[in-house]
Amino acid sequence: MGKQQRATSRETRKAQAAIAAQRGRRINWVLTVGGMIIAGLVAAIGLVAFNAANNDEPTAGGGKLVTPANLTAAGTIPVGAPAAPVTVEIVLDYMCPACGRFEQANGGELDRLIQAGTAKVELRPISFLDRTSQGARYSTRAANAMATVADRAPEKVWAFNHALYDNQPEEGTRGLSDQRIAELATQAGVGRDVVDAFGERLFEPWVAKVTEAAFDSGVKGTPRVSINGTVFAGDVYRAGPLTQAVAAAAKSGT
Amino acid sequence: MTGLLSTMQRVRHANAWIFGTMLFSSVLSLIASFVLAVDAVKLAADPAAELSCDINAVISCGTVAAAWQSQLLGFPNAFLGLIAEPVVITLAVACLGGVRFPRWFMFAAQVVYTIGLGFAYWLFYQSMFHIGALCPWCLLVTLSTTLVFATLTHVNIRDGNLFLPARLQETLAGALRANLDLIVVVIWLLTLTLAVVVKYGDLLFG
Repeated sequence: MGKQQRATSRETRKAQAAIAAQRGRRINWVLTVGGMIIAGLVAAIGLVAFNAANNDEPTAGGGKLVTPANLTAAGTIPVGAPAAPVTVEIVLDYMCPACGRFEQANGGELDRLIQAGTAKVELRPISFLDRTSQGARYSTRAANAMATVADRAPEKVWAFNHALYDNQPEEGTRGLSDQRIAELATQAGVGRDVVDAFGERLFEPWVAKVTEAAFDSGVKGTPRVSINGTVFAGDVYRAGPLTQAVAAAAKSGT
Repeated sequence: MTGLLSTMQRVRHANAWIFGTMLFSSVLSLIASFVLAVDAVKLAADPAAELSCDINAVISCGTVAAAWQSQLLGFPNAFLGLIAEPVVITLAVACLGGVRFPRWFMFAAQVVYTIGLGFAYWLFYQSMFHIGALCPWCLLVTLSTTLVFATLTHVNIRDGNLFLPARLQETLAGALRANLDLIVVVIWLLTLTLAVVVKYGDLLFG
């Protein structure tokens, strides 16, 4: 082993000598050209990163935080009669397939509970799945559209929520186009002037804030369903358990 | 200054540095593969995929991890990392300890790892342009696979293990001594970084 090490270090010394002989020409040339390419790449990375950082909310009024009107005191988007005894809060992301399954299973049940005056729903749309729409930020765009509807056409929130789920894009795609989101809102009965305001991206900073607040408050994933402030741990992917839990909460009055 | 440069030069071509880097990179790659494999198993254990969309999910909430690209050979790709990286770790540790493998062994390692590198870059391409999810652990696999490949190639050219024609061998060895390999690897990694930043800059810095 000692012999080998000696042999290796002898080789290294030989390589060393060869380098010394060539240093003047070759190393300088390589270092210059390579260094220039490296500097160029580093500059490009810096530039792109800088742009991305400053490009935050380019058309959202300078990224100012604008909170939609008509929110609850807790900052959620309300659906249904404020006097309903049971509150079902849903933290969701419109790109999240599990949220889609939740909606398929429970959308109709919630319709009934809202209409019966048993429950009201509070939506908290977040955007953490932006990373899965190839940079097209579908979660943010959808949540911003929803916030705009809540702000200006609050009675259409629930219909628009259904429409977004009925047409939910596959995760990992660029999501629905802005135009398609606008079409869905129009079909859900949202007025033209409100739909046109989606493009202002007015509430994107608010969506970002809600997302961060959700993380800070310990939300682990979506959909997260709470009944009167207590996280619902039952099966949310089939109809029944949630309805029963809501009924029980209505009865006990808690 | 010259003294420092030549010391760095000597260290860079020494076994300790090369195999140390290889060891470090292959351990990183193993960790990343392990995390990805655990995630894949968790998904598979729940065929109804009734997982909620986990905030900390490695790739996505399921659809993407279930994409055909994630299971090219019929099992999660990360399993390949679990199989291959321990071999690299063993090789690196043995060489650090002074073992000298036969030429054919190092040559075979080079061939197999080159295939692995191709696979890693195919996956990188797929996740960048077709899957579209930002996956930090997958990026770590790309990075560490590149570093292992670079160190393995470095040592195999240095020791003439690749059965190359004499002139080509001499040219490549000269390029090593002129640090061309280092510059190529740095440029390559920066290019990857640029691609990731261009594609996901809004997410990373937004």
